[in-house]
Amino acid sequence: MNALKVEQISKFYDDFKAVDRISFSIQQGSLFGLLGPNGAGKTTTMRMIMNIIIPDEGKIELLGEPFSEKTKDRVGYLPEERGLYPKMKLLAMLQFLGEMKGLSGNQAKKVASQWLERFDLMQWANNKVQDLSKGMQQKVQFIGTIMHSPDLLIVDEPFSGLDPINTKFLKDILLELKQQGTTIILSTHLMDQAEKLCDHICLINRGKAVLNGSLKEIKQQYSHNSVHLEYQGDASFIKELPFVHSVDDYGNYMEIRLDEQTNADLLFQALAESKMPVKKFEVSESSLNDIFIEIVGGKSNEENI
Amino acid sequence: MKKIFKIVKREFLTRVTTRGFIIGTVLGPVFIIGMMLGPAYFMSMSSQKALTFRVVDYSGIILKELPKAFPDTLDNGQPRFIFSALDPDVYQQKKEAVRADIENGLIDAALIIPGDILEGGKITYLAKSVGDIDLIQKIRNNLSDVVNNWRLKDAGMDPEKIYELTRKVSIKTVKVVKGQEKARGFQQEYFTSLIFLMMLYMTILFYGQAIVRGVTEEKTSRIVEILLSSTNSFQLMMGKLFGVGAVGLTQYIIWGLMSMAAFFFATSSMPAMADYISVSPVILLYFIVFFIIGFFTFSTLFAAVGALCSDMQDIQSFSTPVTFLIIIPFIISFMIIKDPTTSTAQILSFIPFFTPLIMFLRISLQGCSGWEF
Repeated sequence: MNALKVEQISKFYDDFKAVDRISFSIQQGSLFGLLGPNGAGKTTTMRMIMNIIIPDEGKIELLGEPFSEKTKDRVGYLPEERGLYPKMKLLAMLQFLGEMKGLSGNQAKKVASQWLERFDLMQWANNKVQDLSKGMQQKVQFIGTIMHSPDLLIVDEPFSGLDPINTKFLKDILLELKQQGTTIILSTHLMDQAEKLCDHICLINRGKAVLNGSLKEIKQQYSHNSVHLEYQGDASFIKELPFVHSVDDYGNYMEIRLDEQTNADLLFQALAESKMPVKKFEVSESSLNDIFIEIVGGKSNEENI
Repeated sequence: MKKIFKIVKREFLTRVTTRGFIIGTVLGPVFIIGMMLGPAYFMSMSSQKALTFRVVDYSGIILKELPKAFPDTLDNGQPRFIFSALDPDVYQQKKEAVRADIENGLIDAALIIPGDILEGGKITYLAKSVGDIDLIQKIRNNLSDVVNNWRLKDAGMDPEKIYELTRKVSIKTVKVVKGQEKARGFQQEYFTSLIFLMMLYMTILFYGQAIVRGVTEEKTSRIVEILLSSTNSFQLMMGKLFGVGAVGLTQYIIWGLMSMAAFFFATSSMPAMADYISVSPVILLYFIVFFIIGFFTFSTLFAAVGALCSDMQDIQSFSTPVTFLIIIPFIISFMIIKDPTTSTAQILSFIPFFTPLIMFLRISLQGCSGWEF
């Protein structure tokens, strides 16, 4: 079953197409990455899913039905720009956010306390939001998003502004929620994170969906025959080899792209014969980062010319 | 519906528990009463100061009448006006010295009374400040009486007799409400209406501004995006309006209790106060009704203003037009308070944004026919 189905949605601001006929659907229980460079239309798309902005065209189905007030309580939304009442006390703030999602006052208080405990923020529970650091506020905001155990969780750039420890902590919780069956839509421009977390991705550039599908398939489709090599000594002979397409040499690290149809074994043999000390030999598929740069960078270059 | 209630609850609790609310609730009536009683108090203060006049009387008939013409005394029983004579011949030689005395504050003023005073000659009043209109008015009136007495005597008439015959008639004001007579003084009407009008004006403006700030704050801090993912804009607005409105009513209730206590205290210790302030429960009811009407009229406008503002700086400029919509009827009210029966007042009270203030005023002063609601 699809947790979310987006069909041909568009949003125009005057002549500017912020989102241009984007379609995708998300399997229940999957972690879906909405990727793209800054200003691609990710946030606009998410706001349309949350009915904060009404799409000019297209149709959105949330949890199997059109958007309604009732579905709001089953969805959690963490916007890119955080918002809390600066003068409210932490626990009261979370209680209010929980109540807004249909929890009863006591229930909201209980769940909020549990999460605060888990995020190690309990000693701040009676402090005002404005007394907290930005990172802490972000964690509070995240608690507010997940405390009503939503079926669908939409998080826009959840890791921005967090230190590595908190980033890992947040990631663990996202994965835990996924295991419990929550469908998660994650928007990010950090490709290495998306690569590690997502099952499916949709890459948006200039308001258009340029890539859409399972991460595994996309990587296969875009993978090139390339080898990463760490070495010592003189490796200039490599780029003379007949089956090498191009090299990117950093002195003791080299990325080698082979001709298509060539097996990396050939390079391995050639290296073995050369007797050059090799510290690491890795046949690699392209990273999502490479794919991103290839598609997004390539496109914009074309248009610049 | 449940969510509206939760929003109301949050708005109410966060506002009522602020220091600003507590201070405003306590100081509000103090300021309003202070604004009205302050000037009167300062005036009575200034009349507690003895004034020394140096009088140069060319006519020779006015000076000796002066103490009788200015019988005012200070609280300690001393006369307020002290007159010291200066011989005209001496004055001719020592004009500079008199001016110096005025500048140095040795005397407060000098009165130069010409010889032809009875034939219409002008009295010269020399002082450091000639801005105290009340004082000059008093001097003119009292001196006129003295001069008139002389004129009457010269014409062979008895001043006492004349004054008795030309005495002004006195008027007792009686207000007719629903066919019944109510003895109420003008001052009673004036003070009660003014106090309530001020409170209505200030609270509508204050809570309207609170709405603008609240909406803009939610916008700038991006909370609105989170709230909109849980509720809709209608619930959000209603919650805000009812929440802030409830804060206003709470404040009124506190003020009501405070003034009731103050009223009982005042009437038991100073019975004269009751002549100035009298509040019927009906007026209180109308007051609450018109606060609610006025509050919702203006706060929806203010909420719209808040939605237009993209940051706190915008508030001032965007809310000015709406603020004028309430300042204008407030100023008009001062004219209507004098004569609430005119058709101008009636017509103005039908203009939607003017209704809350002006209609309340008309009802409290005169009573209106039922159809006008």
